[in-house]
Amino acid sequence: MKLSFVTPRYGPSVVGGAETAARMLAERMTTRPGWTVEVLTSCAQDHLTWENVEPAGTSELAGVTVRRFPTAARRMREYFALDGMLRVAPATATMAQAREWVARNGPLCPGLVDAVAATDADVVACYPYLFATTVDAVAASPVPVVMHPAAHDEMALYLRSFRATFRDVDGFVYHTRAERRLVERVFRVGDRPQVELGLGVDEPSGTGRPGTEVLGIGDRPYLCYLGRVDSHKGCTMLAEYFVRYKERHPGDLALAFVGPRSGPVVDHPDIVSTGMVSEADKWDILAGARAMVSSSAYESFSLVLLEAWTAGVPVVVNAACEATMEHCQRSGGGMWFDSFRSFEAVVDRLVGETGLAPALAAAGRAYTERFYAWPALVERYASFLAQVVERGPRAKLWTERLPLITTGTPYVRED
Amino acid sequence: MGAGAVGIVTAMPEASGDTTSEPTAYLQQVMAEIDAEVARRRASGDLPAGLERELDELFLEFAPVGAQGQSRLREALSLVDGAAFVDIAVPVASDKRAGRYIKRAVRGFTRFYFDFVVHQIVRFAWAVSRLAHQLVDRLERVESEIDALRPVPVPAEAVPVADDGDAWWAPVAVKALTPVAGRVLHAECGTGSLVAALQAAGVDAYGVEPSQPAAEAAVAAGLDVRGEQAEEHLGVVPDEGLAGIVMPASLQWCAPTERAQLVALAASRLAVGGVLVLHSSTPAGWLRRAPTLLADLAPGRPLHADTWAHLLAGHGLTVTETVPGGSTGTVERVDAALPGAASINAVIELVEQSLLGPDDYVLVASREQ
Repeated sequence: MKLSFVTPRYGPSVVGGAETAARMLAERMTTRPGWTVEVLTSCAQDHLTWENVEPAGTSELAGVTVRRFPTAARRMREYFALDGMLRVAPATATMAQAREWVARNGPLCPGLVDAVAATDADVVACYPYLFATTVDAVAASPVPVVMHPAAHDEMALYLRSFRATFRDVDGFVYHTRAERRLVERVFRVGDRPQVELGLGVDEPSGTGRPGTEVLGIGDRPYLCYLGRVDSHKGCTMLAEYFVRYKERHPGDLALAFVGPRSGPVVDHPDIVSTGMVSEADKWDILAGARAMVSSSAYESFSLVLLEAWTAGVPVVVNAACEATMEHCQRSGGGMWFDSFRSFEAVVDRLVGETGLAPALAAAGRAYTERFYAWPALVERYASFLAQVVERGPRAKLWTERLPLITTGTPYVRED
Repeated sequence: MGAGAVGIVTAMPEASGDTTSEPTAYLQQVMAEIDAEVARRRASGDLPAGLERELDELFLEFAPVGAQGQSRLREALSLVDGAAFVDIAVPVASDKRAGRYIKRAVRGFTRFYFDFVVHQIVRFAWAVSRLAHQLVDRLERVESEIDALRPVPVPAEAVPVADDGDAWWAPVAVKALTPVAGRVLHAECGTGSLVAALQAAGVDAYGVEPSQPAAEAAVAAGLDVRGEQAEEHLGVVPDEGLAGIVMPASLQWCAPTERAQLVALAASRLAVGGVLVLHSSTPAGWLRRAPTLLADLAPGRPLHADTWAHLLAGHGLTVTETVPGGSTGTVERVDAALPGAASINAVIELVEQSLLGPDDYVLVASREQ
């Protein structure tokens, strides 16, 4: 079986949930006997500029054959104006506007699309739904296409151009039940073959160094947030809630934001922000935390929850996020908040009740081991792909390749 | 109790064989206690109302629109009420020395203008808020009336999980569905044995099953089975998207309105030329063999095969085959040569039909229009 992944960016230095998930899966599938795996991707590393930084051509990364194709253009400033216009009522955008949005969102890689059209793979797997590489690959592939949508309830999902793309997909691989329900509700693709796969978790790779030492906070107890530190991930809200909590509950408790920063972090004596850290430091910080807080309402899977449970740490999630709520409710491994009041009550309870955190963490760990152990997960994925291939050639296609828009004012990062 | 303490502390579950339901039950209880604690603290008013509203708005700012309305209607309404006030006292603080005086002067000069405009904005906002209150009041009344009309739910444990692959009617279903080209859905497929039998016969079959453990067992067996209700699933399938449907077993005993909705939904999802398979108890078989709890609590009763043919015809479906099944008993007939034998045998036949008739039947229908 030959499997060809299509993803807008690829490599260990790419920070992004979907791209990381694609890499983790590709690396594991390539070790499977009888399977050949390749990745078709762009030469870009930055999703905001799509600037070609990697050399075009074929290389090998962790055993995976990677074929890189240059993007036809950088992201243009015109994208942001169009995005702002469509954001208010995406469902009312015309098909032409919606297709222009997808094309301008990029990355447009004509060479990659030609390679998909001429593929000798048995099946193509596209990751995630949002980018032009996926839309074009679905339109061009002569062999069955499975899509890993990595979708959450956001503006782009309601653009009508995606309806045809989703209709042309031969199978869906979802991160969670919540994601499947969302996609099926929006696109009515419930009849398509699907699998709720998720992602596997690696064993903790910490050094055993106390998390407090890594953070430089003495021996204070702490909560941690793991991932990109961004207001869209709820970090501003989390910082504000924590500051208010500390005003009402003075004590040692600290909050650590662990991950790359997209904006300024609140300056407060009880809040630390590490920026990007090594894997070992990440696991050490996680292992020492009282709880891992996932403040984001927009997650399609949230691997960090499973990592926290693997490290024996309970989680606290945003109740508006269906994916993280699903993990907590199915496992019994985490609590949630939907206001400052509930945040306060949940933190009180976790900090004040000795037996609660270990009980939650144990439940979360059992759930992770049951559903997200790599060997079983890879087996499920392989079996699903085989079934999709077995169903035979693709049905009538509704999609066409995107317009190649290369005009406009190139966007340049300001930071 | 201060803001820092939570009143009730739930005992952790004792270890036992069931590793999945206990942690979730424990968590549900803990979260229920937290909800109660939150309600208590809100009622205590220990946070200034303005600050509490600001903090609530901060949460909503970073939450999807859909999530904001769920079970938080009253809270959202209070945010509308709070936002209906527009403050015209523009802050005049400034880093620059003269700035404060300039701002104050501008505020003074423009006050008449803003008074006029803001008065209209506030009137509009109050009108909207009033309307929202009336809508929410009515919605809650309607919801409460609907709740009162809802039949007592059948406990999940009273509903047998399907294992139809070995049922007497499975070969009939497989034979009827083998010629179709396209996806075939088995609604309420249990552990998926009929889905597997259909796949083995070359049918592109998949299933849905409301019982999560059964659905998970089917998925573990490599089948495309989703853990959800038939109606919920049919709602996300395109019109005429299915080549065949094996209807759910609960169709025979669900409420008549629910039955009508499900049949209409299934018919609309079936492609022209598609095949529908429906297995049901006979009314007599239901009385004889239905599990007690289900028989007593079910909001509906099974129909005769002829009634189904009539109902399906209303949705463009024609019954092509009806196969009776189950334990059909027979009573020996009286020798026809004996006097009065004809009458006696007629009575025996009647008794057979009413008491010993088939327990169930399977219908095959096709959509012709």
